[in-house]
Amino acid sequence: MNNFTGWLLDVYPHPERGVVLWLICDDGQRRCLRQDFPVTFFAAGPSRRLRDLWKFLQNQLIRIELARTERNDLINGATVVLAATLDLPFWLPELFQTVTNLFPDLLFYDADLHVTLRHAAEHGTFPLARCHVTVDEHDVIQEINVLDSKWDIDYEAAPLKILTLETDTDPFHKEPEKILVRAKRDRSTLDLKKEEATLAFLGYLLNRHDPDLILTAHGDTYLLPLLLNLSYKYNRPLPWNRDPSEEIRQKKERSYHAYNQIIYRGNQIHLAGRVHIDIHNTVMYGDYGIDGVLEMARVTSLPIQTAARVSPGTGISAMQIVTALENEILVPFRKEQVETPKTTSELFRDDMGGTVFDPIVGLHEDVGEIDFFSMYPSIMVRFNISPETVGSEIKTAEAVAGLRSVVKRADLGLIPKTLAPLLEKRFALKQILSNMNVLDCRYKDYKARTAAHKWLLVTCFGYLGYKNARFGRIEAHEAVTAFGREVMLIAKEAAEEMGFRVLHIYVDGMWVQKLSCNNKEDFQPLLAEIEKRTGLTIALDGVYKWVAFLPSRQNKKIAVSNRYFGVFQNGEIKTRGIETRRHDTPAFIRDTQIEILDMLAKASNRDALKDCLPEVREVIRKKQNDLRFGLVPPEKLIVRQTVSKNLNDYRAPVPAFSALQDLERAGKTLRLGQTVRLIYTRGLPRARAWDAVTDFDSRTVNLPRYRRLLDRAIDTVLQPITGEDTFWLTGVKQLAYDLPPSMVCISVMAQTK
Amino acid sequence: MGNVTPTITDILHAEEANLAKFRRALRREDQIVFDDLFTAAYKYRAAAAYAGHLLPFETFLLSMQIEDHKELMRLREEVKTLREQLKQVLSKQDE
Repeated sequence: MNNFTGWLLDVYPHPERGVVLWLICDDGQRRCLRQDFPVTFFAAGPSRRLRDLWKFLQNQLIRIELARTERNDLINGATVVLAATLDLPFWLPELFQTVTNLFPDLLFYDADLHVTLRHAAEHGTFPLARCHVTVDEHDVIQEINVLDSKWDIDYEAAPLKILTLETDTDPFHKEPEKILVRAKRDRSTLDLKKEEATLAFLGYLLNRHDPDLILTAHGDTYLLPLLLNLSYKYNRPLPWNRDPSEEIRQKKERSYHAYNQIIYRGNQIHLAGRVHIDIHNTVMYGDYGIDGVLEMARVTSLPIQTAARVSPGTGISAMQIVTALENEILVPFRKEQVETPKTTSELFRDDMGGTVFDPIVGLHEDVGEIDFFSMYPSIMVRFNISPETVGSEIKTAEAVAGLRSVVKRADLGLIPKTLAPLLEKRFALKQILSNMNVLDCRYKDYKARTAAHKWLLVTCFGYLGYKNARFGRIEAHEAVTAFGREVMLIAKEAAEEMGFRVLHIYVDGMWVQKLSCNNKEDFQPLLAEIEKRTGLTIALDGVYKWVAFLPSRQNKKIAVSNRYFGVFQNGEIKTRGIETRRHDTPAFIRDTQIEILDMLAKASNRDALKDCLPEVREVIRKKQNDLRFGLVPPEKLIVRQTVSKNLNDYRAPVPAFSALQDLERAGKTLRLGQTVRLIYTRGLPRARAWDAVTDFDSRTVNLPRYRRLLDRAIDTVLQPITGEDTFWLTGVKQLAYDLPPSMVCISVMAQTK
Repeated sequence: MGNVTPTITDILHAEEANLAKFRRALRREDQIVFDDLFTAAYKYRAAAAYAGHLLPFETFLLSMQIEDHKELMRLREEVKTLREQLKQVLSKQDE
């Protein structure tokens, strides 16, 4: 018997013996261990069909243990099921595929779960958990104990060996010639033209450094597929996997619809015994980096490589599965509940979003922004909202504010049980962060971790109402928004009773103003009162020196929610909905707007703002001249647009169409949801694709169009301060250019009036 | 992902579009008034949404009424102040 202590890197099923576990041991060794790990799936339905399934499973080549038993379904309670236990989890997906084809009429549970999640539920493991294992002489685990918790704030981080691989250029824009490799202090540049030598040296580097984590740029979509092809061509396999008996797993690219958007996910390459992360194929990498990815894996229990590449929705659903398995609740293969029928008036009453009060347009001084802490998840925990606790059929329940449904308050539901520890961890981290010096070495890590939590918590609400979510239920979703509206209105009433003017409400945030309230302390009584009345945590996001709420572009008399910019007392600028926040704004225009905002941020009040105007106008003139005289490099004028249509579906020669045509000619086809980078040009074609045109002629740039975009961005930030439209800047009357002619007519009249 | 019913802004846009022919047949100065009325309805979208009324146009009409009445109250207040100021000026002149 041997004992090892270390960090759990990877868990995956083995075709002949249970599961394989990779442990980063304290002595520096990376050990490959095995563990017997039988898995069970369940089926429910008419007994005649269950008998057929029983007979079918008995005749399989692999050993399956069968039993008739009773299990708990989340909604329906105790259910009689057929339990089938496989010694080898590796074969379950294949078997289940056949079974669903042959028995489509049966309900299946616990059938399509990731083996890592099952392991997490049974042994309490999670990626990079600190474990103590006892193994026999064949390296088979006899006992495994997890020494830390995924909910710990501070833990001993695993000493990961990292190897970085990147190409010298963006492969989509220009064919790369070199690969840059970094590991510890080693830096090498490999020439892609000398294919065989590159392979040999890369093989040497992989063997020498034996990395735990391979961090690549474009590794999923370009670099690794290229190197794998070269390996095949020269018959020189590289040790990408630490486990030589495993094959490299590839997942194909795909596009899908979510939240009225088309989203593209590139090809994926997963390694065994090592972790491969492609920073360009990692969801939210820009938001939280590698620390966030590891935290995501830690709290969701998904393998690191998977956690990096899936949406937070899959993450939250993995957490719910682990909670269900831990509590011996059946995890359905597909959702079975449908929405309870509603009358039209009930639908109108129940199917609503959060509270929104359009802002009072204009510049305001001394404004406090207060936000509920993770409002929707907190509501789910505080009011015990979960698919099984909401519904009109439950007796002994309390009414949901304004709805017919009721919520059972006793017995914590599945969703609150899943969310409570995550909320607690996020709250604790936030508390620490608010008192921490920005220069503290832990600051960046903590910040990344709270960002990861934020995305998980944001999506958990949407998943309650998502049609494919295993533990979703539309009534629960509606109950959350109903409570959300209720608590926000309570907060608004409290604020108004205490003499505050409510400037803007946006679902979970409120902007309030009161004469001579310009200190953090001035808002404390209000926060305390709201917390007392609602039972939810609310915090002051900050006090603005000044904030400008912007009107609609189409009609200057109408306010639009969540479009504003302002400066906090500590000098931090906050912007929402304006050009700097938009993905399709060219860098030149974004930079100009940010430069102007930086200058304005120095002003502490309305009068000081007016004083900065001459200086600002100077900058604007310079920028306009730079544009006019072609001093702006073309890459600063790139506009990014998401491809939402196939080339044949365009009906007008819009810029995106021309750019896609360019790309097609260059043999680079884009899939739906990918980004096309284009530059507006004069005449036809209306734009050129940046990634297809090698000899871009900067004289063809559509300067007037960029000038309009520039003026519009300037107008956005200056109009609230000067109170006048910036016609003086251009000398030309600006119409709402993107509007259909009928609307332009309206806005002309509004102006003439 | 939850919402299946149209948003209040969608409904308001639809109502405005339904009346497009009516608007077209108005004199230009009346069209401006018409647009102003709809602007008033836009201002109270949040309340109209929260009300969840089956006939949302009624709430829009009420929104226009609120905006009008607000203006009326403001004007009344202003007339009152102006009257008082005038009285003071006149009494001074009398002296």
